[in-house]
Amino acid sequence: MEDKQVMVLALDESDHSFYALDWILTHFFGSSSNNSFKLIIIHAKTSPVSVMGFGGPGSTDVLHLVETDLKKTAEKVISKAKDVCSSRSVTDVQYEVIDGDARNVLCDAVEQFHASILALGSHGYGAFKRAVLGSVSDYCCHHARCSVMIVKKQKPKQKP
Amino acid sequence: METESLGATAEQQPEVVEADNGGTMAEQQPFLEGKKMMNVLVAVDSDESLHALEWVLDKLLKYNGGATPQTAEQEHSKLVTIVYVIEPLPRYAFPGGYVVESASKTQEQNGVRILSRAFEMCRDKMVKVKTLILEGDPKDRICRAVDEMNFDLLVVGSRGLGQIKRAFLGSVSDYCAHHARCAVLVVKPPKKPY
Repeated sequence: MEDKQVMVLALDESDHSFYALDWILTHFFGSSSNNSFKLIIIHAKTSPVSVMGFGGPGSTDVLHLVETDLKKTAEKVISKAKDVCSSRSVTDVQYEVIDGDARNVLCDAVEQFHASILALGSHGYGAFKRAVLGSVSDYCCHHARCSVMIVKKQKPKQKP
Repeated sequence: METESLGATAEQQPEVVEADNGGTMAEQQPFLEGKKMMNVLVAVDSDESLHALEWVLDKLLKYNGGATPQTAEQEHSKLVTIVYVIEPLPRYAFPGGYVVESASKTQEQNGVRILSRAFEMCRDKMVKVKTLILEGDPKDRICRAVDEMNFDLLVVGSRGLGQIKRAFLGSVSDYCAHHARCAVLVVKPPKKPY
């Protein structure tokens, strides 16, 4: 049995990520005999401090609540991903939740798992939003050490 | 002006599912058994992009080169189109018509050379391939081709330019990654041995 190539898929809780998961499963994990990739699904759990900034009095309680909420989101994402994968009979999947900012987490994960492809969804922000909100797919495209696949949700084409 | 030179097996399989890029469909395709037909467009511009093509053929289409004959359905599950875009030179930049003529002829010859190398690579791996030469501004032309011809995946190479070079030289792969309407795979250059 030859070594499988590793594909890392980044998931957050957005629809775009799950669309990407769907797309990848359809095109690359279609029939069970053709699995030339091992899929590793990664959810980056941001730290509550970065979400909140430095708060005033009472922030320690809020910090705790935010942390719990983030943990819950992570669990939801992973279990939903597990459901999608098992409904497509894709079994050779590894799930990871890693703390930190998505950009760094993903680029590090590529190194750690020796991935040959990093797959991500894309929010489809325009240039301005990208500059203001930042784009994980942009960052990964430039900095990841492997090939990067950006899966976009199809916008309905405007009929003239 | 488009010149299309078709590969050996150029006819496309009749689509068994409705194209997922068309119309107002935003949801995922109903999952069919066997692989869905995937149209892949690989943009090449130079010898370096041939590395991207090779990478794609190796990694994505690995099973196609397997020893055991695949079922007919699986064989036709991915159709690869290789495109080379010729950027027309601005005529005003060169005095005297013959410079532009010979330069664009060189470009065309270059394109044909690269496409034929690419075609050979695909044929060696037993992959169905089509080649295409388009004219125009590469960024726009590639994105338009994706729209018009309903590709599912666009593959571009990347020369690994830094931020500043990218801004000045312009990056086709950057533009395509943001503006193409389908999934985009950016293939990085091989790590140079130090």
